[in-house]
Amino acid sequence: MTPGELRYTSSHEWIRDETDGTVTFGITEYAQHALGDIVFVALPSVGSTLSAGDSCGEIESTKSVSEIYAPVSGEIVAVNGELETRPERVNAEPYGGGWFARMHMSDAGQWGQLLSAADYEALTASA
Amino acid sequence: MTALQRTPLFDRHVRLGAKLADFGGWEMPIEYSGTVGEHAAIRDAVGIFDVSHMGKVRITGPGALDFVNGIVANDVHRIADGQAQYSMVCTEDGGIIDDLIVYRFGPEDIFIVPNASNAAAVVAVFRAAVPPPIHIADQHHERGIIAVQGPRSADVLEALGLPTDHDYMAMVEAPWRDYRVLVCRTGYTGERGFELIAPAASLGELWDALMVEVTAAGGTPAGLGARDTLRTEMGYPLHGQDISTSTTPVAAGLGWAVGWDKPAFHGRDALLAVKAAGPDRRLRGVKVVGRGIPRPHMPVHRAGAQVGETTSGTFSPTLRQGIALAYLPVDIAVGDSVQVDVRGTLVDAEVVTPPFVPSHVR
Repeated sequence: MTPGELRYTSSHEWIRDETDGTVTFGITEYAQHALGDIVFVALPSVGSTLSAGDSCGEIESTKSVSEIYAPVSGEIVAVNGELETRPERVNAEPYGGGWFARMHMSDAGQWGQLLSAADYEALTASA
Repeated sequence: MTALQRTPLFDRHVRLGAKLADFGGWEMPIEYSGTVGEHAAIRDAVGIFDVSHMGKVRITGPGALDFVNGIVANDVHRIADGQAQYSMVCTEDGGIIDDLIVYRFGPEDIFIVPNASNAAAVVAVFRAAVPPPIHIADQHHERGIIAVQGPRSADVLEALGLPTDHDYMAMVEAPWRDYRVLVCRTGYTGERGFELIAPAASLGELWDALMVEVTAAGGTPAGLGARDTLRTEMGYPLHGQDISTSTTPVAAGLGWAVGWDKPAFHGRDALLAVKAAGPDRRLRGVKVVGRGIPRPHMPVHRAGAQVGETTSGTFSPTLRQGIALAYLPVDIAVGDSVQVDVRGTLVDAEVVTPPFVPSHVR
């Protein structure tokens, strides 16, 4: 359930290396299941510059609100605008059509500091 | 911290994979498969809720009806034997201790279903006033309640051989296997539906039989999450959020459930004064027209100034929009534009009269 080619954060974002200096990110299967039915997503603005760990959006389920954190430092170059009308895609396809945003990393070395799939599974197993 | 109470159906909720949470001191299912899907099942087909956490109080003996009528706000003489009525118990200041359903079996036999967290307070009010020949039995744990709600609810009950022909807000006691089940045309969803009040010992069997028929009818068990989105779409107030001892039935728009012509009921003098003077604020519907989901306790603004606060707020699965209830000054009219402060973002909204979606209770 935890794709091996992705990297993760302890705040339950996944990150995919697009091999062009950009990364795509979203929230994990574990996170979408814990949140329940997602009914609202507020995305970051394209062009905004963020530091890793910055709050850059909100995800709201029927019962709770959670912040979305930038997994790396850099600039937002694209967002998944479809989530504004179809937030439930985050539940249905957290690693696919439910992606949040793409960032241009300020420093490619950040990739190595993210959690591996095994590390993330260990983290959620102990949660 | 005291341990949470559990209903006779607790083990079944766990087996069904429910997410459980504390609700009024009871460990209750919040959702099974998901609130949005459960909500849709009840609007479109049928769903069942365990609402056994609700209180159950039986008041019997000579003069029981008039004793109850001298306390509760609504007039029990407006209904006949075999009917149920929405009512309230108020403080002498006119605040709402609880809202509840009064079931009138006869002049000497009244049954009351208060909210879980207020049941003890309601029982205490009655006990403090009760004359000797009348008996008050707190049956909170002796009986359970299963709500069967949705357009196909009658199909489900008919499959179990239970009666379904009675009117909205009427009840019929019927045999089911070795038990007597009270079948009430009541609910908290805005759909045609029934609430089954049954002995605690029968509840597991009854739930299992209902589950078979509900599943066959394309329905689902539903948790208190869906119950909350369904009732909010109808604008039904929730005690502890929209109404409390610091709000009156007049401000809450519940004057229709007050027996104004009765000679006596708790809070009568205070409420008549509030009614005569007019409330300074009213509970209104607030329908978001922009993007954002209001939640309880969010400021409501008009023309740059805060004018009120939301008491309930949620995502409406039917409208796919945010909806809320809020106390607003009486000079703010239905149709006016307001803004809800959703964590620092002002979201445009319109003042409306609930229900937010059409009622199908009848």
